[in-house]
Amino acid sequence: MSEAELLRVDHLAISFGALQAVSDLSFSARQGHITSVIGPNGAGKSTLFNLVSGALKPQRGRVSFAGADVTGWPTHRLLEAGLSRSFQITNLFFELSVFENLRLAAQVLEPAGRALLPAARSTVARDRAEELLEDFGLSAKATGLAGHRSHGEQRRLEIAMALACRPKLLLLDEPTQGMSHGDTQDTALMIKGLAGALTILLIEHDIGVVMNLSDHVVVMHQGAKLAEGAPKDVRDNAAVQKAYLGGVH
Amino acid sequence: MSEVIETLQFVYAPQVVNGLAIGVAVILMALGLTIIFGLLDVINMAHGEFYALGAYLGITLVAKGASFWLCLALVPVVMAAIGYLGERSLIQRVFHSKDRHILTLLLTFGLAIIAEDAFKLVYGPNPYKPESPIPGASELLGITLPNYRLFLIVAGAAIIVAVWLAVYRTSLGAMVRAAAFDSQMASSLGVPVEKVYAGTFAFGVALAGLSGVLLAPIYSVFPTMGKDFILLAFSVVIVGGMGSIKGAVIAGLVLTQVQSISSLYISPVWSDPLVFGIMVLFLMVRPQGLAGRLGHG
Amino acid sequence: MAELAVLRTAVEAGERTVIGGQHLLAGSFVALALVFAAIAGATGDTFFFRLATEALIFAGLALSVDLLLGYTGLLSLGQALFFGFGAYVSGLVLKHVAPSFWAAVGITLAATLVVGLVAGIIAIRARGVYFALITFGLAQVAFKVVFNSRGIGGSDGIIGIPQIKVEFGLFAVDAQSPAGFFLVTLAFMMLLYGTCAYLMHTPFGRMLMAIRTNESRVPFLGFSPWRAKLAAFVIAAVVAALSGSLYPMLRGLVSPELLAFQTSGNAVIMVVIGGVGTLVGALYGSVVLTVLKSVIGTFTEHHLIIIGGLFMLSVIFFPKGLAGYARPRLERWLARRTERA
Repeated sequence: MSEAELLRVDHLAISFGALQAVSDLSFSARQGHITSVIGPNGAGKSTLFNLVSGALKPQRGRVSFAGADVTGWPTHRLLEAGLSRSFQITNLFFELSVFENLRLAAQVLEPAGRALLPAARSTVARDRAEELLEDFGLSAKATGLAGHRSHGEQRRLEIAMALACRPKLLLLDEPTQGMSHGDTQDTALMIKGLAGALTILLIEHDIGVVMNLSDHVVVMHQGAKLAEGAPKDVRDNAAVQKAYLGGVH
Repeated sequence: MSEVIETLQFVYAPQVVNGLAIGVAVILMALGLTIIFGLLDVINMAHGEFYALGAYLGITLVAKGASFWLCLALVPVVMAAIGYLGERSLIQRVFHSKDRHILTLLLTFGLAIIAEDAFKLVYGPNPYKPESPIPGASELLGITLPNYRLFLIVAGAAIIVAVWLAVYRTSLGAMVRAAAFDSQMASSLGVPVEKVYAGTFAFGVALAGLSGVLLAPIYSVFPTMGKDFILLAFSVVIVGGMGSIKGAVIAGLVLTQVQSISSLYISPVWSDPLVFGIMVLFLMVRPQGLAGRLGHG
Repeated sequence: MAELAVLRTAVEAGERTVIGGQHLLAGSFVALALVFAAIAGATGDTFFFRLATEALIFAGLALSVDLLLGYTGLLSLGQALFFGFGAYVSGLVLKHVAPSFWAAVGITLAATLVVGLVAGIIAIRARGVYFALITFGLAQVAFKVVFNSRGIGGSDGIIGIPQIKVEFGLFAVDAQSPAGFFLVTLAFMMLLYGTCAYLMHTPFGRMLMAIRTNESRVPFLGFSPWRAKLAAFVIAAVVAALSGSLYPMLRGLVSPELLAFQTSGNAVIMVVIGGVGTLVGALYGSVVLTVLKSVIGTFTEHHLIIIGGLFMLSVIFFPKGLAGYARPRLERWLARRTERA
């Protein structure tokens, strides 16, 4: 694994019964870059995220993160190591307040013993939560329940939670899913701003966002890698165009 | 060699037949439970009490002069009505809340408490032992077997087959399975989902009641009989797979055989822990049981 | 920045009213208990003291149920397993080792940590409904085993457990003294309650609530839900067992019924009536149920029918329970008071 590669997957494969969800997938994400994973529905992108983030164990292949072999590591261990993820289908703690959601997400920054002291003593987590509230424009709604927020606010909270632990690698699963055009542009800008300090692996359907943000693009089709390269090269690739039935939407 | 055959004949065979007889009745009870869970996603903690109610109804009818055979026909019908009413009036109320699983569990648990005390109130705490409807024994392959148990095995098997046919080969059964698989879709296709739910619950309860009538001559009828049996019924359902008829049949046969044959070697006190241990093992290692859910298999 | 300060004040104020509400309810409980003690003591009563002490002991069991159900989202239908275990261990220690309060409690604590861990590892694997069934089964099996074990008294249980004096260094309270032991039990239970209430306001407690709300997200917070649930399970087991350990001191005997399903079931009823997820509801629920049982019990032997009926009504119409309804109103009242101040 070269120095600049933060994440590398080698010959990753998993099948569910007769369905080969991911087969022989290999690529890497360079440090500080935004790598996008695109492909039609059912291509296996979310499964890939599940494999990398520890929600699923691969049947074959290897996942390397920051130089270490993390294949099969449980999710919470990966998170401690700096690998964080947001969800395509909003997966917040709907019954808790926005602030509490973020504080829970930031709790991992505290030393372990703090878990048994009164919550008010976890000032690191509290400060981080407040910081995120400001950065993501959620301060005004902080004490309200997460479940009562608008879709756009919930998507922003999703990303904020994934960032709370100050990860090295951030997996963003369709962050702009269902967002208005304005929100999408704002989010794209924010993601671009995060790169450099952070490495980002992004699943996106909005090709405009992909072209604009990505340093590197991986195209998946029916569980396998179809093409890989700089955004422009991938867009001009004939096989990719065929897979998308006529390209950009 | 002849020693082996003799052991098989006189030691094992009676146990096996015993186990089979109890097994079919347990399967009937477990079928009700698994169908209710498979479709309604409801854990019916009161299922044992419905089993007991069936038995009590049976002996009441017999006391009033009805024959055992009339009971076999009548009790399930009465139980079905009770089940239907119960589902509409009680379970429906909490069905659409977020905490449905726990609420229905608590609700049926409350029902179980009331039922057990009610039995004590109406019938007294002492057990009733109804006479065996088919007394005597027959010889089969040189082994003497009680007639009633033979009848149980045959009748029970027939009912199980009938249930399987009803669920998988009739259009009613298809409606039920559709509602289990995707209730919104089924509803939009014209399936009266609420009635199907209540009807399914009624059906499951009727099976439990029937099981009670069938096993009464063997086990006697007493207020805590439901509690005694419910663990075995749940074990069968879990080992077989919640919602699977095939699974319940296989698990029911296996577990009752385990119980039966193990009683030759270990004190009966330990047969419950043994069955329970198997259930826990499955929950830890293969929680979906031997098979799948009602909607699928 | 000013916005942040306002936000922080709002959040902290909110949390204070929640804790304040809880303290008020707990404080009222203690106050009521002391008032009761004063009245009963003045009239030289024994019976009601013993009944009230028993209510407190079972309140501890209910507390352990709420810890699992109201906070971690796990319904245990076999918590009596640990309660009975604690009672038996304590009884055996008092009878055969030393008639010492601290020895009984201490050994029960140590033994339960082990047993709770083993049981927890078995039970935690399962989710939701399956967890309820495993705990139900574990308790049933333990009940049957104890019921049939001659060595520990079989169906009769253990009798002839000596009366003890609870040594507090400077003074001692005779367990035979109805008022004295009532107060000791009250203090003991409030200590258990206080520890649980404190834990629920730590990040650990918050994590349990997160697990109850949305378990699938918790690993992505960097925590293992399995470990948190196991910890909660063991803590609940200890609370139940320590409560049970006081039982033989009160009654001088232990019997298998303490492990029976009815004991577990009663605890669940107490929690539902008192209010799931309030902790203090378990205390009130136990008192309510004990009172109901005695009152109804004087009219009919079949009080379970009525109690079961009330329970079902509670589940359908008052799922939040007594404390569940009182608390938000208290919190609003408290919030208004601090605003005016």
